[in-house]
Amino acid sequence: MQPLTLGKVAVRCGILAVILFVVVVIALKFGAVPVSLYGLAKDLLGVLIGRSSEISSEYGMIIREIRLPRIALGIFVGASLSVAGTSFQALLRNPLADPYVLGVSSGAAVGSIVALIIEPHLALRPEIAAVFTPLGGFLGATVTIAVVYFLGRRQGQMDSNTLLLSGVITGSFLSAVIILLITMLPSSSVRSMAYWLMGDLSTPMAPILGWVLRVGFFAGFALIYLTASDLNLLLAGEKEAMHLGVDVRKVQILVYLAASALTGLAVAVGGAIGYVGLLIPHVMRLIFGTDYRMLLPATAFGGAIAAVIADTVARTVAAPNELPVGAITAMAGAPLFIYLLRRRLA
Amino acid sequence: MKSGATGNKMRLLRAVLAMAFVLSTFAISAGARVQSGAAPALREVTDETGRIVKIPQPVRRIVSLAPSLTETVYALGLQDRLVGDTDYCDYPADAAKKHKVGGAINPNMEEVAALKPDVVLVVKSLNRLETVRALEQIGIPVYSTDPHSVNDVVVSMKKLSGVLGVESAGIALYEKLEGRLAAIQERLSGAPVKRVMFVVWTEPLQSVGKKTFIADVLQHAGATSVVELNQDWPQFSLEEAVRLQPEYLVFASNHSEAVQNDVGALALKPGWSAMDAVKKRKIAVVSDAINRPGPRIVDAVEELARQLHPEVFSEKN
Repeated sequence: MQPLTLGKVAVRCGILAVILFVVVVIALKFGAVPVSLYGLAKDLLGVLIGRSSEISSEYGMIIREIRLPRIALGIFVGASLSVAGTSFQALLRNPLADPYVLGVSSGAAVGSIVALIIEPHLALRPEIAAVFTPLGGFLGATVTIAVVYFLGRRQGQMDSNTLLLSGVITGSFLSAVIILLITMLPSSSVRSMAYWLMGDLSTPMAPILGWVLRVGFFAGFALIYLTASDLNLLLAGEKEAMHLGVDVRKVQILVYLAASALTGLAVAVGGAIGYVGLLIPHVMRLIFGTDYRMLLPATAFGGAIAAVIADTVARTVAAPNELPVGAITAMAGAPLFIYLLRRRLA
Repeated sequence: MKSGATGNKMRLLRAVLAMAFVLSTFAISAGARVQSGAAPALREVTDETGRIVKIPQPVRRIVSLAPSLTETVYALGLQDRLVGDTDYCDYPADAAKKHKVGGAINPNMEEVAALKPDVVLVVKSLNRLETVRALEQIGIPVYSTDPHSVNDVVVSMKKLSGVLGVESAGIALYEKLEGRLAAIQERLSGAPVKRVMFVVWTEPLQSVGKKTFIADVLQHAGATSVVELNQDWPQFSLEEAVRLQPEYLVFASNHSEAVQNDVGALALKPGWSAMDAVKKRKIAVVSDAINRPGPRIVDAVEELARQLHPEVFSEKN
């Protein structure tokens, strides 16, 4: 096996970045309102080389204010989910691990619903009210992760099977709580909640949330990437890694916390978008191998590309109606996952 | 060796982060605000949810995100200014031909924005708050109505007419509808109040709570709901419904025969078969307008009152 060099990682990431860019341009073209690809490419190029700062056409406002922010949201939600999935799979050395299996999305849903229930009683300022529900979702996700973590320990050690099982059980318990809570919601909020539960990127969010998501993603990604070599050694097993000088406990806690924060952020703003965190790491592993120094950035790009494509399909196939993006990722993801599984067994 | 590997790792990290950051700044260079041309005169109004909205005057382009508001716009004679409505806006027939922006719950933001509306109309009980915020964020004024009773609906339409700059049409509509409501009340005075159950759904049985708009329509039609719950759309125990024995079951449908057939099928099922209203086919079917807090609500009240109190309406006709 050839050693992985900086140049190699840069070239591969460059290729992935170009693919992401092309996907973004195509995603910008498609939508309920027609946009010419030529004019769009010309305008975007003008903006990119700094000659102009405006997309000065008929559709400029729609591109700038609606499509681009939504695509940016898709990029960060997709990248966060798949980096979190890769991290959980590395940590638990279990290919089934993903943010949803660990109960995090149900926790975020409970947090969001509780926020929706108490929000009307608090008389919040509008700018706080706009971020209140995602904040509830994030808190719900973090609390759930902490609970699953403590339930999943055996004799003070993180145990992969116990952790996965406690995630599944916590998730199903919280699903029951969700159903009970929904009966308490006023009917107008039930509709909002239903969309959220299906995964939804159609709702533009407050600008401040966008920044939290971006900064959070880069911070979380950087933390996890710093442990990439340790994760490589962990592939051989905890004891083996420990003998090679890896502070296993520290790496586990660090990666677990960072991956959980990424999940919490993504779920709080994008709702339950399944399969991105489960499938993308598998696909990227098939293409780029298991070296986490390459795999982590590759899954970030892969998740972003997948989420943008899925969301483009969601907003165009039934236009002007929108489909929930979670339905698209699950419909495409489940068969693909089964295919990969069968291929591996054959 | 070890330090070399760490240095390499750091360089890798920096390269990856830099690349990602370039991409993201591209994606968010969208921050620039829309530049507006000659600023139109803005009028500040407070909508029914307490939000302060600045609406350009005069209002020339309206998008309605609720069937009831589409009907109101037509009733106010503003159909030519209605540039877009939802898939569900089917009354009057002409409304179905307007440019569609998707459903009421999930309208397509691009479609709405492309219509360049002066104002978008929503109903709090139907549309999502997220939609309102999203439109606000891209600088489109949203006026929200929030009627909870028949009287609210009529008053709300009058207020809306002022916002849209056709106050006299609004007052005329208000007086006509109030007059009809008063006439119905007069006829019903002295008539016994009928105990009814409004059936939203049969399997499982779902009815309406006492705080809903429909419960108020029932009151105006000389009836009262046997279901007295705070929840808006409660799933109701069939056992309890049998115990309460409502005199009439009220259904909302534009197809009366279909409802009669459905009730025929229900009569064969345990529980339902024990309900007197089912056995004696004491069924009132009111048009879908009862679900729409718009101008036809008075039609719905009248239709229902005629079916529940035939004696009152026949002797005077």
